[in-house]
This record gives sequence, C-alpha cells and structure tokens, in this order.
Amino acid sequence: MDALEGLTVVDLTSHIAGPYATKVLADLGARVIKVERPGGDPSRRLGPFLGDEPGLERSGTFHFLNTNKESLVLNLKEPRGREVLHRLLPIADLVVSSRPPAVARRLGIDYESVRAVADVPVLSITNFGQSGPYRDYRLSDTTLYAMGGEMFSHGLAGREPLKLGGTAALLQGGAMGAIAALGALHAWEVHRVGQQVDVSLFDAQICSVDRRSSTIMAYRFSGRVQERAPGAGAGIAGGIYAVADGYVEVTAASGEYWSRFVEMIDDDHLRGPRWSEPATLMDPTAKEEVDGIVYPWMLTRTRQEVWAEARRARAMVAPLFTGVDLANDPVLRERGLWTEIEHSLLGRLPMLGRPYTLEKTPWRLRQPAPMLGEHTRAILASLGYTPAEAASLYDEGAVA
Amino acid sequence: MNQYLPLAGVRICDFSAVWAGQTATMYLADMGAECIKVENPFIWSPMTRAASPRINKITASFIPPWLGGHPNGDPGPRPWNNSPAFIHVMRNKKSFTVDSRRPEGLAIVKALIRVSDVLAENLAIGTLEKLGLDDDAIRAERPDIIILHMPAFGRTGDYVQGRGYGAHIDAVAGSTILRGYRDSSPLTNVQIFAGDYFAGMHGAIATLAALRHRRRTGEGQVVEVAQLEASSQMFPQAAMDAAWNGRAQASIGNRSIEGFVPNGVFPARGDDRWIAISCRDEAEWAALVAFMGSPAWAARNGFETASGRAAHEEEIEERLAEWTSRHDQQELFHALQRAGVTAGPVLSAKDAAEDPHLAVGSWQTLPATADYPETPFARPAYRFSKSDVGIRTEPALFGQHNDYVYRDLLGLRDEEVAKFRESGHIADTYDPEMVARA
Repeated sequence: MDALEGLTVVDLTSHIAGPYATKVLADLGARVIKVERPGGDPSRRLGPFLGDEPGLERSGTFHFLNTNKESLVLNLKEPRGREVLHRLLPIADLVVSSRPPAVARRLGIDYESVRAVADVPVLSITNFGQSGPYRDYRLSDTTLYAMGGEMFSHGLAGREPLKLGGTAALLQGGAMGAIAALGALHAWEVHRVGQQVDVSLFDAQICSVDRRSSTIMAYRFSGRVQERAPGAGAGIAGGIYAVADGYVEVTAASGEYWSRFVEMIDDDHLRGPRWSEPATLMDPTAKEEVDGIVYPWMLTRTRQEVWAEARRARAMVAPLFTGVDLANDPVLRERGLWTEIEHSLLGRLPMLGRPYTLEKTPWRLRQPAPMLGEHTRAILASLGYTPAEAASLYDEGAVA
Repeated sequence: MNQYLPLAGVRICDFSAVWAGQTATMYLADMGAECIKVENPFIWSPMTRAASPRINKITASFIPPWLGGHPNGDPGPRPWNNSPAFIHVMRNKKSFTVDSRRPEGLAIVKALIRVSDVLAENLAIGTLEKLGLDDDAIRAERPDIIILHMPAFGRTGDYVQGRGYGAHIDAVAGSTILRGYRDSSPLTNVQIFAGDYFAGMHGAIATLAALRHRRRTGEGQVVEVAQLEASSQMFPQAAMDAAWNGRAQASIGNRSIEGFVPNGVFPARGDDRWIAISCRDEAEWAALVAFMGSPAWAARNGFETASGRAAHEEEIEERLAEWTSRHDQQELFHALQRAGVTAGPVLSAKDAAEDPHLAVGSWQTLPATADYPETPFARPAYRFSKSDVGIRTEPALFGQHNDYVYRDLLGLRDEEVAKFRESGHIADTYDPEMVARA
C-alpha cells in the first residue's frame, strides 16, 4: 500500500522547484497528472543528458524530478485547452502551480479561477509569494540563494560570496512545497477544507535553518552580522584535510570532538591536558605541531580508511564524496539509495532512489518520468472525451 | 484560532536534537501537532538549545554570530532559552523535563508514549536503545505509533556508527565538493549545513505521509530518514550525471548548472556589497546589454546565444564585474528587474532584517520574556488561507510545560509531582553540576 494512495494531484508546475514538490507526492503514491505546456516542461532541456546527447526524453534532471507522474500536454492559452483543465480539476484533491501570479491569472490557474471550478486546496510555489514589492520579480537558483540570507556568509572573506552546488536552493524550496502540500492534504481530508496555500521560494530560504533565520535573529538580538570566515577550519584542528585519494571533513574543535579525533589518530603526543588549554587552542605554533602529526596520518590513508577509523573512534569526520562515489558506493547501494527505471526508449537505467524508508508504505518507483504527452489520450478518454472529440482537440492544438 | 489545523489531535513525543530533527518536528508542530520536547536537566544535548550551557558574554563574542549572537551579546543565566541558532525551532512546541535514565523517569516517558501518535528522534545511534526504548519497547507502549528515526547515515550498513553534523552529511551527500571556488581546491571550503535543512524537511514529509496512512488504516510504522540519503536528493544533476554518464562533477563556483551565461555574483559599489545576476535566456541577455548602454564588449557578434557567450565566459564576467562595481546594489537590483534581467542582491543578515519585501509578511513579533526582548521572528514559509498554520505559541522555554505534561496530560497528583520536583526530574533550569562539567 502507498501512503498517498487514492489522492490525485493536478500538477501545473514546471522547471525544478514545483516538480520536486510533486515528485515527492508521486513517489509516495499519489496520482500526479503533470500538465505540460506544448513543447514540454523546460526542464526536459536541462542536462545532464544520457550519453551527453540532448533530447526531450533524455534529461537526467527531468527524469529525476518527474518519476511516477503522468504527462498531459495542454495549451492553456487556448480556450479548449482550458476546457480540458476545467474537466480535470474536479477530480483533484490538490492543485499545485508554480507560475508567477500574473501569469497564473492570465492562464486561469490562479486560486480564484481554480476555486470557481473546484474548491480544493491550491498550492502555489512562486518566487516571491502573492504579495509584496518583489512579487513579480524574476529569480534563478543563484539569485535566490543570494537573497536567502545564507550566501553572504558562505565563502571566504575578501572574496565573492558563494552559492551551493547544482540548484540546491530551488530543490529546498520544492521540499518546503511538499510539506505545505501534505499539510493542505491533511486539512482537506480531515476538515474537507479547500484553501489557498502559498509558498514563496524567498521565504523558504529566509525563514529556514542554517545561516538564514539564525543569522537574522543574531543580528536582531545582538547587532552582529555573520560574515565570511578568513579560512576553513578554526583552532588547532578541523576543516577539510587532504587524504590519499581526496578529502575529508573534520570537526575537532575542542572537548569531546577533540578527544575522539585524537582517539582516531591514536597518537600519544596529542593526548594530555595541554591540548585542551585555551592558550594552546589560540597558539598558531600549536596548530603547526598538530598538523605535523595529522597531515602525514591523513595523507597515508584513503577516505574510506579514514572514515573507518573515525567510526571506530566516534569522531566527527566524513569523506567528501563526488556523484560517482555516491553512485558506486556498495554500502549505500546495499541500503537501497539507488533504484532502476525501465524506460521504453532508453532501456534500463539507474535512478536516484528513496530519501526515506517507510516500513508499511514503502517509497517505490511505479513508473519512470513520462514521455511528453504520453498520457494525454488516456486522460482525455477518462474525462469522457470521445475519440472524435479528442482528435479535434489535437487538431486544434489544444492538447498534444 | 486553531482553525482547520492539518494535524489537529496529533501528539508527538519529541526526542529530536540539533537542526535536522528539531526542524522536522517544527514543521509538524506548525501544522498543528502537539509537539512535546522531552528534555533532561542532567544531560546537555550538544547543538540543540545553545552552543554551550555555560556560554557567557565573553565566550559568546568569540563564537560566530549565528551561534553566539544572543540578546545584547549576553546569554544571561539561561542561554538555552535565547540562542539565535535554535530559538526558531522551538516555536509551537512544548517542553517538559525528565531524567529518563532513572526508572521513575523512564516510566513517565513511557506514559507519554502511550498517549502519543509519533515518537521522533535523531540522537546518536543506540541512545534510545540504551534507555530501554528500542522499537519493540516503544510499540509495546503504543502499538500504532509512528516512530521517526533520523540517523546520519542509516540504521543499517557499515556506516551506522558514522557521526556527523550537517557539514559531515553534506560531505558524503556530494554537496561540499560542488560548492567551492572554481580556482581553488576543496580545502578552502567552509562549512555549511544544507544537510540539516533538507533532511529536516524530509523528516516532516515522511511523517506527514505516515500520519495519513495511519489516519486511514489505524496502522503506525517505523520511518527512517537517513540524513545522508535525503540530502543526496539536493544534487540530482551531479548524481544523475554520475549514474548515467560516469562523470564526477566538480565545483563550477557561481556559474550555472543550467547553462546560463553570465551567471554569477558580482561586486556592487561599497564595502562587501554584491549582486547576483543570471541571464536565463537570450531575451534577458539582450535586456542586460541594452540596460548597460550596449557597450562594444557586450554587443558583439556571436554573443546572442548562450553557447557563443560561454566561449568567452571569463571575459564577460570580468567586464560585467567592472560595470556592476560602479552601481549601488539595491538600485541596480530594482533597475535590472524592471529591465527584465534576473538579479538579486546578496543580503546580509542586516539587509534581510530590513528588507521591504520581507517586511510585508515574513516576520511575526513575539512578546518579551525573561530571556529575550520583544523581537520579530521568522514566520513559517507556508501561508494557508484557512488553516491556522503559523506561529501560534512562542518558542518553548526549557521546562516551560512541566505542569501541563505531568498534571494535565499524565494526571499525576500533587504529591507525586512534588516528588518528581524534589528528585530533580521537574526543573526549569539545567542541573548546575552538569552545567559546570559541560
């Protein structure tokens, strides 16, 4: 049994954040009908492509973001395209959109327009929300992270602030959207209440943990502004170290972190009270002394060897993995981080799998991401369109 | 008030710590669950309520602001009630104290479990088991409970004993290697804790799903969110490139994985002022060129397409930086947006606190307590038009709800409550001897 069995989501989102939110729901068992514009979700054009060969059905990013969904291509700029949407909305338990407020109104997929057809929960995942001076502003993963309150303190003092890898900020916003969606679904099922639910990507950054809400609160409380550090690590040990085949991340600042780190290195010179004295912790020559022992220890061991020693000593140390490490790691594979899709054009391919395990309602892959318009015909039939009516919708370009 | 709460009637017995666990239950508390933090006056849970129980004015000033920026720089006698890093995650929650290592304390915890729908934890592997609270023991008290475990690297496999905060999760999830400067090795990468944020959200998501199943079937279950596995979903481009093409992506700095050129963070006029700019399509590039007054370096043949610009990315970045550095960050932000270019200022904590858009609805001012002054708090990032999903109650102070839990919820009589108070289970402050040792 799937956790979200029996729920239907009409998914009007595109690109990355919105589709990640609805992927989460689809992977938990909801039926997600992805309404794509003619030509498809722009994320079909995002790399990486299988074999580096671009193609609408070959994007790894799209495939990841759209597992377990159905694709219905609708031209919402055409009245008959909207008519199909209006027949579809009443079967929805949740409608999710990610268009900017002005565009949503134009396409008739804003909250008021949807409610006029079906009084269901409507979640919008937008750049800056439904109100406020930036409401209609544009956004990218980079500008989002820049405005999100964390970038300012990420990177090195004297250099430009740094973003996270990939499109992490957008995916974070998508995950926040999934929480809101599930909340809205609970309210829908428990209280039978449809409503507007608004998630702004900007708020999803600002109002969240790590150096976002906490740095802002620190400023309000103390007037101190979190700035970028002059370098990685602090004190006599900690930060990123080079090892024989890459790097490891180390926290060994003081107290138990330090004693476990020493236990990991297992060097008598580093034992003893001297290394816990504040004067030592601030002494640059003490750091040199520690480095003289730690660097050779690290450089003569692989990441996995260091991590094994760290686990033995309960030290806060972990290897820096690349995507290839994640894909090949036998322990993670054995646990089930990866799964497979069987695609009618591409064949059998690995797919990044479950983010969690649910004992009774396991996360599962029922079908790969849909091909463009793969389910249009079947959905039209299920909505009561005769084959002739469907054909005319295709002819008019209302569906594809 | 309390209208249409999605999780009305759901109670959480909350053993969560640090950020990943405490934010997971924060989202559930936002949604209306009664979330009861189980706290122990005799144990300091690291990075859960403050940097240290002994943090004072002097030591706080040596600790980075996000962790050391207590009110007026002075943590006061109860630093666990006013840490900028953890105060938000206490919102909408309740706090009660008990020493669960003692038999009578464990009995209280078990009594709470019997009236709870969810038990949440992300303690070091084995901690709950040591208390005698393995899954079977928990289910013996409450057969239909949902148990949320949030281990760092999983509860099975060779990495079980791996220890880590967000930075170590980020390392293994592939985050750290992807986020450095293009021209330097990962050795200079500073810590960030994206793993906490993402895993915390997935803890809430998985529990919301399990609660839906339980509401319909009456069946509880064990939910495991390995923080590493949840976090690896934050970088699908790198993961899929590795799985499909065998390629190990490295950091591209502030450049775009989506192929936008230019895409980066550029200096604005003044000290440490920066603006991020992305040209997401040809129209945005054309708008940027026009806005700059079509300088010869930009209005060049071949620059109309992203691939044409990509061949000269370095040069474009240098020229653009030269141009942006002559402009005021905020003025340029609005002017570029009006011109149709994607741009955003790099907001410092001060900038964000003063931002006019956020001022419209992102903060909620909470009244002063003995531990902090009246202050605007960040509201949840989701706004529900009908459900009262917001900050309904202020951050739970340590032990604030002992009366509620011991008397109202568990029904202890006055003399029993007095006994628990005498023996130190019930407290509104940490044990001074523990604090002295910590």
